[in-house]
Amino acid sequence: MSSRITISRIAALGGLSTAVLLAATACGAGGPAATSGSAASTVNVLVEAGGHAELTGVAEQCTKDTGINVNFVELPYDGMFNRLSSEFSSGNVSFDVAALDSVWLPSFKDAVQPIDELFTDEAKKDIFPALVKEANVDGHFIGMPAWTNSEIILYRKDLFEDAKNKTDFKAKFGYDLAAPTTWKQYQDISEFFTKDGMYGTDVKGGVETEWLAHVLQAGSPMVLDANNNVVIDNAAHKDALDFYTSLVKSAPPGAAQVDWAAAQNLFNQGKTAMTRFWAHAYRQIPKDSPVAGKVGAAPMIGGSAGVAGVPGPWYLSVPKATKNSDAAKKFVKCAYDHNDLGIESSLGLASRISAFEKYQDKPGYESFKPLIETLKGQATATRPATAKWQQIVDTVLVPMLQKAVAGGDSATLLADAKKQIQDLLK
Amino acid sequence: MSTADTPINDRFAAEAVAYRPRPAGAVSAIPATGTKASGATAGAAPTGALTVEPATPTSAVSGTGRPRRRNHHAEGLEAGRRSTRTLLWIILAAAMVLYGFPFLYLLFTSFKAPIDTIAVPPTILPKEWTLENYTNALGRSGVLASFINSAQTAIISTLLSLVLAVPAAYGITRYKTPSGRVFIMAALVTRMVPPVAIGIPLASMMSSAGLADTPIALSIAHTTISLPLSIWLMSSFFEAVPNDLEEAATVDGCSRLGALWRVVIPVVSGGIAVTAIFAFLASWNEFLFALLMTAVRSQTTPVVIANFQTQFGLDWGSMTALAAVYSIPVILLTLLLQRKIVAGMTLGAVKG
Repeated sequence: MSSRITISRIAALGGLSTAVLLAATACGAGGPAATSGSAASTVNVLVEAGGHAELTGVAEQCTKDTGINVNFVELPYDGMFNRLSSEFSSGNVSFDVAALDSVWLPSFKDAVQPIDELFTDEAKKDIFPALVKEANVDGHFIGMPAWTNSEIILYRKDLFEDAKNKTDFKAKFGYDLAAPTTWKQYQDISEFFTKDGMYGTDVKGGVETEWLAHVLQAGSPMVLDANNNVVIDNAAHKDALDFYTSLVKSAPPGAAQVDWAAAQNLFNQGKTAMTRFWAHAYRQIPKDSPVAGKVGAAPMIGGSAGVAGVPGPWYLSVPKATKNSDAAKKFVKCAYDHNDLGIESSLGLASRISAFEKYQDKPGYESFKPLIETLKGQATATRPATAKWQQIVDTVLVPMLQKAVAGGDSATLLADAKKQIQDLLK
Repeated sequence: MSTADTPINDRFAAEAVAYRPRPAGAVSAIPATGTKASGATAGAAPTGALTVEPATPTSAVSGTGRPRRRNHHAEGLEAGRRSTRTLLWIILAAAMVLYGFPFLYLLFTSFKAPIDTIAVPPTILPKEWTLENYTNALGRSGVLASFINSAQTAIISTLLSLVLAVPAAYGITRYKTPSGRVFIMAALVTRMVPPVAIGIPLASMMSSAGLADTPIALSIAHTTISLPLSIWLMSSFFEAVPNDLEEAATVDGCSRLGALWRVVIPVVSGGIAVTAIFAFLASWNEFLFALLMTAVRSQTTPVVIANFQTQFGLDWGSMTALAAVYSIPVILLTLLLQRKIVAGMTLGAVKG
């Protein structure tokens, strides 16, 4: 037998033995064997991949303060809802704390524990009103906001401060060029900068949140009223849709397919002069981007009802099925106490007003004042608390917007959407 | 033997020779009817094609005019073959570009600077080559562990598939019982069920069995995907092995199991390699079950790759870098087993 064959056989045998041994012991290489309830001083936190960074610093501090070790289970956003559904329905969870997107709270309200004791009066004052309202489902607080976000206006400061642009703009529109505060100003500025291969703004046909913010600005609740009646065909929704589609002529072609990633890329590449975008994007502009250092931030524009945005908070919730409730709640409390540590992360967000205010005057955090103003806006509201919301978004709202930005009749589209939503809610 | 040495006694033999491509410099034994025609033919014929020289007419075909027509006919056929071959090459090249381009684009993107990865319009080649994405991707916590988990899961799943599929396929093909036929059809039916439909029940079952977040649970889940295909593949390979081989081994003193182990298995080793690689790939690249069933201890690399796409953005550079690194082992494995795979496919191809 040649030495080569001998070596191959030994290697194969070694590999097989290792695999069998690992299989027999049911070990993985991913970390400590800590599943829910296995150790009171360890909690497993299920988190969307983008939110992991937000909680890393918090977790380290909590370990120092409370002795609780934290393992993160990171999952992509698209798969997280399925995973949560699967584990909650089985009654056997692999995590002790879950970071839940706000739109999932109504779906999982029966699977997570009330944490009313953490919502003290002091805490409620330091959390944006819309979030306090959203965290309360059926009379109980079921999630502590970990971080929140909202769309604000990001604009090209260098273009807005250019002397020629200022003169030309005033000559054409009769008022000074500045960050827009109203729909009309947003339309004018978008039109003005749409020239020489550049566009004034983007129009996102692939996502619904931006249009819903305009609905709030127009003075209507989004899609459903307080009694769960479908109001998508009211005048405010139509005005908001007409405003939304009016910007198509000042936006890059293919609006129906533009989503968050595309819009962010367009802005970071210097193709658009303004974008309505989530506030975290301000701190995520690549250093080698042609617009780095040239971007200003302003609150979201206002309509007849004033400034409004749709908050994008994530909540920390404790599943009923965990055997590690005490440690899990301790972690949630600790995460609230050290909420400002999230701001130091790459995402750079928090949920407490005091945390944002602590950083708002520091260089590099210029987006925080507009964010606070938008989140405190009187018309700002969270999405309707219905378990069918994601289905409504995916099957009705986004397809309707895509048709609208492609030139569809807004009244007809909204009437059709109303019927579809009513059918979904039956 | 040159065609010049071939005796041609009848028209059919001449046709046969005329249709056969010849090596360069070969001389045709087919007589031409005249210099003019010969010149025209020679001028049209490329190297290696039929060549006709002015020749003394022979009695076999002299004066009939048929060889000339045959020559034209042969040239037409040869030209047709060349066109078909060219067309096939073009289709093949197009298919290669179609299938290969996404991977090439992934590779190029992995070497781009972050701002280039999101360029509008996108660029194919990096403006500036950098390894930054690889540093970021491989430096991310949990990546190495996920590689080990992926390898461990894929190896266990492949072994499970082979251990179960080889005897199952052997039994089905050799004994040909009605229940065997039902079994193999039933195995196929399991392939028709969308994985997402069984993913959540499987995850619940594994959790109830105390196997949550373990590679063995994921391996078992992956085996549900690869086993039906493995049984079908192995069945076709066993079908191709003549019963005479086993009978001969039995005559020489082997038991049925001995014949299987000493004679049949070596013969179908190529097929086993093919089956193994399909089972390995099915597990190595699987995402849905890994997403539903793994957490802290057993998360595999496809889930880690997907984690680069978050609600706050997509880190294209790091994602493509990790995906490129993750494809290296399977590419190497395929190259390593290439000969076995080809042999295995050939074995299956001559079945029946």
